[in-house]
Amino acid sequence: MDIVPLLKSLSEAPGVSGYEHQVREIVLAEFGRHADETWSDPLGSVIALKRGTAAEPRPAIMLATHMDEIGLIVSEIEKGFLHFEMVGGYDGRVLIGQEVVVHGRADLTGIVGSRPPHVLSASERDKPIPYDKLLIDVGLDPDELPNLVRVGDLVTMKSSLTELKGGLAAGKALDNRVSVAAAAVCLEELARVRHLWDVYAVATAQEETGLKGAITSAFGLWPDVAIAIDVTWATQPGTQDEYTFDLGSGPTIGHGPNFHPKLNKSLEDTAQSLEMSYHLEPAARVGGTDAVALQTTREGIPTALLSIPLRNMHTPVETVSVKDIERTGRLLAAFIAGLDESFLDSLVWDLGLDADDD
Amino acid sequence: MKDLMKRLTEAYGPSGDEEQIRDLIRAEVESLADELRVDTLGNLIAAKKGQGGGKRVMLAAHMDEIGLIISYVDEKGFLRAQPIGGLDLTTLAGGRIVFSDGAVGVIAPENREDFRKEPELSKLYIDVGATSYDEAKGRLGQPAGFLRPFVDLGKRVVAKAFDDRIGCVVLIETLRRLQDTPHEVYFVFSVQEEVGLRGARTGAYGVDPEIGIAVDITASGDTPEARKMAMKLGAGPCIKVRDSGMLAHPGVKDLLIETAEAREIPYQLEVLAAGSTDAAAIQLSRSGVPAGCVSVACRYYHTPSEMVDVDDVENTVRLLVALLEEPIEL
Repeated sequence: MDIVPLLKSLSEAPGVSGYEHQVREIVLAEFGRHADETWSDPLGSVIALKRGTAAEPRPAIMLATHMDEIGLIVSEIEKGFLHFEMVGGYDGRVLIGQEVVVHGRADLTGIVGSRPPHVLSASERDKPIPYDKLLIDVGLDPDELPNLVRVGDLVTMKSSLTELKGGLAAGKALDNRVSVAAAAVCLEELARVRHLWDVYAVATAQEETGLKGAITSAFGLWPDVAIAIDVTWATQPGTQDEYTFDLGSGPTIGHGPNFHPKLNKSLEDTAQSLEMSYHLEPAARVGGTDAVALQTTREGIPTALLSIPLRNMHTPVETVSVKDIERTGRLLAAFIAGLDESFLDSLVWDLGLDADDD
Repeated sequence: MKDLMKRLTEAYGPSGDEEQIRDLIRAEVESLADELRVDTLGNLIAAKKGQGGGKRVMLAAHMDEIGLIISYVDEKGFLRAQPIGGLDLTTLAGGRIVFSDGAVGVIAPENREDFRKEPELSKLYIDVGATSYDEAKGRLGQPAGFLRPFVDLGKRVVAKAFDDRIGCVVLIETLRRLQDTPHEVYFVFSVQEEVGLRGARTGAYGVDPEIGIAVDITASGDTPEARKMAMKLGAGPCIKVRDSGMLAHPGVKDLLIETAEAREIPYQLEVLAAGSTDAAAIQLSRSGVPAGCVSVACRYYHTPSEMVDVDDVENTVRLLVALLEEPIEL
């Protein structure tokens, strides 16, 4: 699979939380290529079902990759300029000077303006300007602006995917469109192998505003096992080794109370059998990914988390290694292909874990 | 409607102790509803069954109000309290609270200078006029609401607990005026919103709606040096796009906008920086529910002197009645 063109279309599509319709169309088409059925649920998550070959009732695994992105939303229009609030946590320090697209009655290019350094007082110059003091300028005069833009319109970064040397790609919304691409790789791999379990590949909505699509889609599907795929912090100058992972060194497997140890062991075994590079990512506290919601759905779902290292998180230049996307997709596919009828039994605490010696 | 506003806002009902306000609302809606029940948490649910062919719609307004709960009684009979919901501490000193039995207490700071510098609830005590520990000890564990009369300023009205008794007024009036609807409409007067949207969560699970709309207050940006936001008093119901707990379903938001425009009802669009409503809980019920919110712009929310505009209330009722009279396709 040629990942870069897919990643480019995913990255460049606008899809702020709650307003994922454009990226949803891309995902429906891409997941649909290898799925038996695709649909959207009430909150707008995309669900693609690829049926397994075991006799019914078949166990099912859910992959959760959120497709929403962080963005801005117009909160007030004043004298030809737009005030905004955040949808999700944009790094406010990088907003000044950005080109943006205001999704009004038409898509309008705008810029996040800033008063020149020459006119700032010394104290203002040294500090980042809080985002509620920033304004978006689309160039229209105060009379025309309300005809095209109104309060509640969404704003995304105007940013195209850039390929860097060394197999890296940079762009907006790679958190978490890289994982959507990894799920697409997984589905394509699964088209070539036999798998017993049903697979629900879910591109969840509204993760950045509270894991909402995962909460509701997992309730509806009620899978036997769930794996969230998200991004993690990649190593870059000034980061702590303890919390970061090198780009291009494979996905991480989350370890901690959010994750089922036996599920993790199977994922590790699979990675080793593929001779694939991966890292363990300890997470003592329950984090902020879809995995948090999946685990406590209904009576509980055994859950794991794969993460793809990414630099410059929550900026318009999020940077990843394309190779890590491909690896994550292959790991998922190999894991799913290895799921048999007895795997669920091995997850039962009293029966499986203590007796496990294989 | 002002009479109803007065009676509902002056009633007692901090989160978790909504019996009195529930009885008051029940008396209003009893004769109007096709079905009436109170669920396990105490939500009052009034159903209006339409002619059929429509959707199962849940409207939610919360009955509970912010308040205090008595956490300690000292040897002289002074009380200490913990918060119920998000309090604006600077507005408490000098105010009064009322218990469910009608008894009143005065809130006072230990030391005014110190409290002004650093307002903390632990620096306030409540004086119920007791002359001994024994006289006051029965208050331990009791919730209390704030005491403040409703005031009619003409176009604007002021009261405690407009958050969200004004939503309750809107729901009651909507139920009263709604004659023909294809929908099965559940008017949910919810409990415990101020402590985490708890009533709406179970209410929505029970009703299992196909569409949910909360009616609540929202902040306004039309006062001196207010944070920049578009909502103002008197400009019509606020159709919520986003608050810090929810993004309204775009289909629900657009339906409200189209309805308002078709019926020539004034409206404004709402992007709220902080705060949320029952709609955030409804949205996450079961497999997810398309949810939205209609808000009444309110100045000085979470103080004992919340102010709303009477025309906004009237137009909010008109908008909901108009919405429910027509078929709903998202």
